[in-house]
Amino acid sequence: MDRHIIHINVADFAVAVERRLDHRLHNRPVVIAPEGAARATVYDMSEEAYQAGIRKGMALRGAMRLCRDLAILPPQPARYEQAMHALLHQALPYSPLIEPGEQDGHLFVDVTGTSRLFGPPVDVAWRLRRQARKELALDPIWALAANKLVAKVASRLVKPQGEYIVAAGDEKDFLAPLPVELIPGIEAPDLARLRELNLNRVHQVTTLDTAHLAVVFNNRATFIQKVLRGQDNAPVCPIGQQPPRVVLDHTFGTDTHSPDAMTAIIYALVEKAGHSLRSQGRVTRRISITADYSDGRRSIRQIGIEPPTANDWVLFPLARRVLNLAVTRRTRVRHLRLICDRLVFPPAQLPLFEAERKTFFHQQALVAAVDGIRERFGWQAVGTCAR
Amino acid sequence: MNLKNALSSCPAGLTRVGTSGYSYPEWSDAGFYPPGTPAREMLAIYARRFPITELNYTWYHMPKAAAMERMLPLLPPGFSVAAKLTRTMTHEIDPHAWRGQAAQYREGIAPLIQAQRLVALLVQLPPAFERSDSNRRYLALLLDELTGLPLAVEFRHRSWAVDRVFAELERRLITLVTVDVPDLPYLFPSLEVVTNPDLFYVRFHGRNARGWRSGNMQKQFDYLYSAAELHQWSQVFIPKLTTQAHSGIMIFNNHVRAQAPRNAQMLSSLMR
Repeated sequence: MDRHIIHINVADFAVAVERRLDHRLHNRPVVIAPEGAARATVYDMSEEAYQAGIRKGMALRGAMRLCRDLAILPPQPARYEQAMHALLHQALPYSPLIEPGEQDGHLFVDVTGTSRLFGPPVDVAWRLRRQARKELALDPIWALAANKLVAKVASRLVKPQGEYIVAAGDEKDFLAPLPVELIPGIEAPDLARLRELNLNRVHQVTTLDTAHLAVVFNNRATFIQKVLRGQDNAPVCPIGQQPPRVVLDHTFGTDTHSPDAMTAIIYALVEKAGHSLRSQGRVTRRISITADYSDGRRSIRQIGIEPPTANDWVLFPLARRVLNLAVTRRTRVRHLRLICDRLVFPPAQLPLFEAERKTFFHQQALVAAVDGIRERFGWQAVGTCAR
Repeated sequence: MNLKNALSSCPAGLTRVGTSGYSYPEWSDAGFYPPGTPAREMLAIYARRFPITELNYTWYHMPKAAAMERMLPLLPPGFSVAAKLTRTMTHEIDPHAWRGQAAQYREGIAPLIQAQRLVALLVQLPPAFERSDSNRRYLALLLDELTGLPLAVEFRHRSWAVDRVFAELERRLITLVTVDVPDLPYLFPSLEVVTNPDLFYVRFHGRNARGWRSGNMQKQFDYLYSAAELHQWSQVFIPKLTTQAHSGIMIFNNHVRAQAPRNAQMLSSLMR
């Protein structure tokens, strides 16, 4: 059965929310940034500010130089959350499968199989937008497609205003003429490699077979071919049900740029994450770290894990690698977040070679022993040195 | 290509019956399409039964020439389409942007015109669009902007049912859409007026008066015409229209539970 996924996207969400409250902000460049902070950066901006050359993450001082009559507003996360909640509330009658973004004005609504109740999916999309305009004074973009990936690309095409319908079965042809950077999942290193090969458009890549792409992209070739062909089976998660993942946070009492302090914290977080995964009987296939700098800038990096694992001894070197990728600036770090996601049940396959198998069993036994001690005597009963 | 020539060489066929839209997932549940028919295969199945369809989605979003070009190979020879004008020029008019949108629309449907598949461009106006000075002026400007296209205008508000409007449409060779709607006092009445000798255009919306006021599309267009009602059309009204125009199209919009294709098939049989 064809799926019908609606993507609702309020462009420049934070600015759109502020404009509801202050009409003087309409038709003028607006930037959301913590004005008082040292070396503050742009969190969000209006279309007018974008046209003036301002971009997210840009230093506020630089933005002010680019645009003299800039209105600067401090970030109001609670306000955005409230608006996001109202947007979600409007979509609730149409489907139980609604996946909102994180205070960013994005919403995926899966209306597959609802047409007998609510009419054609395209009409539902149009009504959602009409309601948002009328009741919330927000003017979202909407796109309708057979999967989340294509719906998201379609709404990117019409930004900052408009709508786009991609007929089921038309995904590959729809994506073919587009620049590769528009496709979600194609990341900066992929783009750099594609550019080196002078591959700028989707159809230039999809005409190559996976074996050719694998020469450059190794294991990632299959994934790249898949997304560029518009194939995406990812479900729209039911409301309130995030994909299972383990999230752990640490906020430093004093902002730090000490690698040792950060590594020690990451080790502690990995231990807790590993314990949580093992108690759920799951293993993780991806680990990511978010670093929030003291100037408000954020860096997120992640790597895939193959084979998936829940073992602290395997997870820690990987986490340290991600930390090195995430923390590259000299600015102090205020907060670290470790996420283990893409959780699966542990694979039955054991390491093939004797030496690897031996190490694997040793690590498993050690982790099991530490878990056993902690369960009996408490978390502090046994500790591990990071070095 | 000269547009008039392109359109006059459209497959004539005296009258064609079809439905408003063809890609409804619920039509599989209702048995019109085999269960599980993917959307991309619906047009081919539909075109085996009807010679025309009305493109609905062009009301929701601006047609894109590339997508239209990809649709063309799916149309069998002799199959025609009518297309709705996008809502931003009829229901949600932006006074500063509509001219640009009219130009974009022309570009978007160009492949259909070049392939000689477009028989009508439906300008469907909302019930709130009364015959006021400003609305009259806007409509005149819109029709000027779309000159050269095979225009058909559907009014929903009864204030437009006056001879001066019909005379102006006649002067411009624009089709006045004949409607079959519930008997409600504010709705444009069902008239046998033909303003374009090349084409008459009938749209069957169903006669569900209670559903019409519900604001829910699934109730508004939930109606199955009886054989007697369609018999009256085939024997009385349509013959009157055919004497005034060379060709005509009849479109069923009561899409709920695949009642539209069912009624379209009934009417086709009655007219044979």
